[in-house]
Amino acid sequence: MQAGEVPKINMSSWEVGESRYLPGMEIKRLGKERFVVYIGPQHPGSGHMRIIIKVDGDVIVEADPDLGYVHRTMEKLSEGRAFIKIIPLVERMAILDACNVTLPYVEAVEKLLGLEPPERAKYLRVALCEINRIASHLYGFGIFGVFLGHSTMYMWGFGDREVLVELAEKLTGARLTHTYPIFGGVRRDAPQNFTDNLRKAIRYLRKRLDEYRKIFLDNPVIRRRLEGVGIVPKKVAVDLGLVGPNLRASGVEYDVRAIEPYEAYDELDFEIPVFEEGDSLARAWVRVEEIKQSLRILEQIADKLDKTKGQQIMHDRFWAKAPPLYKKVFEAEGRVKLMPLFAILRVPKGRSFARTEAARGEITYYVESDGKDKPYRVRIVSPSFRNAIMFKYVIPGHRIADLPAIYGSFDYFPPEADR
Amino acid sequence: MAYLSVWTLTERVISIVFWGIVKLIFWPPIYQFVIIPGLAAAMVVVISIIWFERKAAARVQMRYGPWEVSPRLAGYLQLFADLIRYSFQEIIIPRTVDLMPFLTSPLFALLLSILPLAVIPVSPVKWTWPLTPSAMRYSVLIAAALTTLSPIFIVAMGWASNNRFATIGSMRETFLITAYELSAVIGLFSVVATVHSFDFTKVVAFQGGGKWLGLINPLALLATFIATLISTSAFPFEISDAENEIVAGPFTEYSGLMYGINMGSAYIKRWAMSILIALAFLGGWRPYIPPPNAGYVTGYLIPSLIVTAKAVIVMALMSFLRAVYGRYRIDQALHVSWKYVFALAIAGFGLAILEGYIL
Repeated sequence: MQAGEVPKINMSSWEVGESRYLPGMEIKRLGKERFVVYIGPQHPGSGHMRIIIKVDGDVIVEADPDLGYVHRTMEKLSEGRAFIKIIPLVERMAILDACNVTLPYVEAVEKLLGLEPPERAKYLRVALCEINRIASHLYGFGIFGVFLGHSTMYMWGFGDREVLVELAEKLTGARLTHTYPIFGGVRRDAPQNFTDNLRKAIRYLRKRLDEYRKIFLDNPVIRRRLEGVGIVPKKVAVDLGLVGPNLRASGVEYDVRAIEPYEAYDELDFEIPVFEEGDSLARAWVRVEEIKQSLRILEQIADKLDKTKGQQIMHDRFWAKAPPLYKKVFEAEGRVKLMPLFAILRVPKGRSFARTEAARGEITYYVESDGKDKPYRVRIVSPSFRNAIMFKYVIPGHRIADLPAIYGSFDYFPPEADR
Repeated sequence: MAYLSVWTLTERVISIVFWGIVKLIFWPPIYQFVIIPGLAAAMVVVISIIWFERKAAARVQMRYGPWEVSPRLAGYLQLFADLIRYSFQEIIIPRTVDLMPFLTSPLFALLLSILPLAVIPVSPVKWTWPLTPSAMRYSVLIAAALTTLSPIFIVAMGWASNNRFATIGSMRETFLITAYELSAVIGLFSVVATVHSFDFTKVVAFQGGGKWLGLINPLALLATFIATLISTSAFPFEISDAENEIVAGPFTEYSGLMYGINMGSAYIKRWAMSILIALAFLGGWRPYIPPPNAGYVTGYLIPSLIVTAKAVIVMALMSFLRAVYGRYRIDQALHVSWKYVFALAIAGFGLAILEGYIL
């Protein structure tokens, strides 16, 4: 076949309305000197997704995000599993943000069960949430750095994330997939010297954030790459329904932790950093400021954990039914063994909804139970999925080299979007 | 003489063979193109520089860098291991490529990037010059002309690959060629304006007594340095093969040894440019003056090693920037090179003319 010739395919049987082709299979003649470039799914700058771009010279005229390469049918799988087994399933969405993405599910089921976790469990949950949030932002920075060819930021981001991953390991016993919050409380108590380690990590990270600013955010080359690139005006951000740091970088003060405090967030003192510019640089800065606020939260949590030492971390309703051996284990090791009753837990009939602010934005769960030991329906709306739409509207008009600068600044995470 | 002793004969043969080999080694075209500062030295230097680049970046980034292959040599042999791996890897040639340019342009690019080394002097002794003294009068001109040839083949590679990323990559390379070539050549030629000669030996002779042209004309040195960074896609100008944007740019479809050659030829070009910079701006072999009737060692080996050492320092400096900077966008790089580097080169040239008038 000659180049540029449109293949003649008899698709009369597929005719739907105007279009001769199945949706997604249209064959169009491109304008002169235009190029279709498939960025992904096997591309060093795309992650597990594809962005189909049309370029005119070096300028992108059309961008089409193509998601779903890592879809793992989490919602459907949830319908066939016991309630407790769904927690380790859904945390695979974003393993470095595991506590934040599973917490709303736990909260939604707790609402159905009609119970509230004890105070110390709430503090422990918030501690892990904030540890995860910082780790996730550092991971995002690492990826962002390597997208811009800045290998030092990549190594630093991943290296310092290790501090937080180890902190999480001390707290939960697992580096990544913690499965920490369970119905009615948390799985383990904090170890003896946890708060000391936490304070040490906070001091270290405060020092490091300043160095990040020097080498990355105030680096003249990086600033020129990010300033004024990928601008999302306030109105567009609201219309597209962006969430999380990306929304706050466009000047909208919206954070579930503040507008609808869950767990212990209403007792804590923190600010919501908001930037007005809406460009890639602002999105990077918002994350740095958020890390600072998270460190502030962690500092308060460390004090509260010291104050509530030795208190219960599991709701009475489950704890009362625990065998004496379990109570002994708790007293000796600070560990709540997973009680057999969780495996046969029947959740009363009803529907519930919960949301939290994950590292990449608001994540919502809708859980419907028909009174059995498995949920009838679990619906997840993840922040990356909500942010994915902007690829279509923000990228056109920029150069190919801007694509990683925009993609990285949105901290888009395909496994989280695809669920 | 009744008979020739067998031993004497053997001795003679051995001596003829030995001195024949020495003469062959120190025959200027062989010595400069193949040994120092040509292919062999370039290979060792490039491997050492890549090792240094990785080690230095690792130090900044809180990690070890190459280590596991030879812990006692701080991982130095890792690069040789990589080289062996590249040479034995399968070379995959896609069906859609334009075969002839696809296969030949990497080799041409490599050869042409090292060719300038075959026309420059690395010693003031006349018999070591690879060109005749009358051709040597234009050695700066010839060397500068030869440095400008290799990018064409990078563009050809991208075109022959028949891949979109490769096409975009070679398009970027085309834009960059126009941007840096002029600055590099004007920067190099500013020494001609000062010395009033196209002869590299006169340029070096001029720099005697610590009067390095890089010191008295830093503008031209800086312009040439930055233009070299752009031309060899060093950070922050790693644009035509920016991994996260266009995979490997013009080299996307290459694999195995062909890819290794492509990666190496950028470094080898950087090496050739470093040698030119060392000769033109950093005094060449200059603290050392060979004695009259200098032999192979004093007249050829030692001055060439001095030039090599200076060039290694220049190249190490170019490679260290990787750890500090990200990469520019293509339009920003063009902006930088036309607006600042070109102006810098012109200013350096003006300064050179002024100095040529005064000095």
